[in-house]
Amino acid sequence: MNGITVIAGRELRSFFVMPVAYVVLTLFALLSGFFFLSKLLDFNFTLMQLQNNLAFDPRAADQLLLWNLNDALITPYLASLLSILLFLVPGVTMGLFSSEKANGTDELLLTSPLPISSIVLGKYLAVVVLVSLLVGMAALFPCLLFLYGDPAPDLGLVLSGLLGLYLVGLLYASVGLFASSLTHNQIIAFFLAFVLCLGLLLLELGVGDSARGLGGVVAYLSLVEHFDNLLRGVVDTGDLGYFFVMIGSFLLLSKASVESVRWR
Amino acid sequence: MIEAKQLSKRFGDRLAVDQLSFSIERGEVVGFLGPNGAGKTTTMRMLTGFTPPSSGKVIVGGHDLFEEPAAARRLVGYLPETPPLYPEMTVAGYLRFVARIQGLPKRDCAEAVDRAMERCGLKEQRRRIIGDLSKGYRQRVGIAQAIVHSPPVLILDEPTVGLDPAQISDIRDLIADLSSAREGELQHAVILSTHILPEVEAICRRIIMIQEGTKRLDRPLDELKAEGQTLQMLFAREIVGEQVPSAGQGGAA
Ligand SMILES: Nc1ncnc2c1ncn2[C@@H]1O[C@H](COP(=O)(O)OP(=O)(O)OP(=O)(O)O)[C@@H](O)[C@H]1O
Ligand SMILES: [Mg+2]
Repeated sequence: MNGITVIAGRELRSFFVMPVAYVVLTLFALLSGFFFLSKLLDFNFTLMQLQNNLAFDPRAADQLLLWNLNDALITPYLASLLSILLFLVPGVTMGLFSSEKANGTDELLLTSPLPISSIVLGKYLAVVVLVSLLVGMAALFPCLLFLYGDPAPDLGLVLSGLLGLYLVGLLYASVGLFASSLTHNQIIAFFLAFVLCLGLLLLELGVGDSARGLGGVVAYLSLVEHFDNLLRGVVDTGDLGYFFVMIGSFLLLSKASVESVRWR
Repeated sequence: MIEAKQLSKRFGDRLAVDQLSFSIERGEVVGFLGPNGAGKTTTMRMLTGFTPPSSGKVIVGGHDLFEEPAAARRLVGYLPETPPLYPEMTVAGYLRFVARIQGLPKRDCAEAVDRAMERCGLKEQRRRIIGDLSKGYRQRVGIAQAIVHSPPVLILDEPTVGLDPAQISDIRDLIADLSSAREGELQHAVILSTHILPEVEAICRRIIMIQEGTKRLDRPLDELKAEGQTLQMLFAREIVGEQVPSAGQGGAA
């Protein structure tokens, strides 16, 4: 337990010294701000159009009722952040193990009394902290809506969407950790993580109409299926379970991969 | 204190280390000699548990390295061939990290780090970034991390590479100091590999010479000196094969 925090502490400090953390946080702030603003302007523009149309278009009134902050702003905003995490998280995780191998510091870690599971979990914990900061930042913009939006968006929906985003970030982090354990080259680790995460997203395309047999498996593995529920405000234990199972699997894979280096 | 039993390591179809056995007690400083590619680094990696042996055992302080890894590893300090340094950390921060992962309790770390820096002549460098240090100073940090948790067994792979003459003699003194008895402290067992024969004569009491992964010689140095043999001669005879080796020496444990 102690070992985990020692590893995580060193890793976090190096994120901020390097300074991967600042780059990632700044990029995320800029991009999420941009997405939020563009969705907000979009929202206002459509809102005004609908209001103008009220006089001569009888359907506009119905459309106006449907045109709310929840569906027209919060949901697309959070969904867009998924793609930002897709390349930011691998950027954070790429060095976790590969730089150890390149520096020769793996010889220090792997000959220390620490169990490999502590090393893996410590590194994961460091990324979890960074992902938490990112999702915290992502939450700031919707907060504005609670202050100034009228009517305010649905709190439950915002929270479950953010939870979904957080879980996706944590899943990407475990994938990135695994990718980094496979190679001593950071660039390869980055692309490997990117492709694996993208794969989890794109599995959606392979989900046929009939979710039976192989289609069912693909549907279960597909990240979007589970994220979408959370985005719509549906917190289902099945979806939460998906994220825990996937994260756990990638952590175990990372451990096995690091172990195999020790035992090769 | 540390014992290798029939250690072998196979890389593909090439046998890097072949049935190597020896044991080293507290107070001994053993020079591990052999030409390039003899298997010194591979052997040391097996002794520290970085590389698993293809067959054979390592026992450290009574603990089997592969059955009780944590207990065994705690007793070993290791300087790999390339010092395992994080370039972005400060010297003191790095040593504190190593002390922690080696299992020292937090409250003992500051003192352990100070002592290691003192012994390796790093006091002035404590706040410097490791990546900015010269090669010799990086090597010193490497030695400091091996001794920071005061392990009873020290495994040093070419410890004096890149050091200036003054520091080399400091490190020799340090190693001599670690292996000699002192009040309230137990002696260390030290095994170091090197290519500098005078260094071996200066600090080691015993030498183990290997070639192509097999042990060629394992004898106390003063015994050899008494016979009037220099290391230079031995190296030439055992390794290069200039003369027929005298019978009974090779492989005698
Ligand atoms: N990971 C590896 N894969 C394949 N072969 C290896 C590996 N590590 C070492 N070897 C081989 O094992 C043999 C012994 O290498 P080792 O590094 O132990 O030699 P050494 O005695 O330390 O040499 P030097 O004096 O040059 O440091 C060499 O032939 C080397 O090529
Ligand atoms: Mg070597």
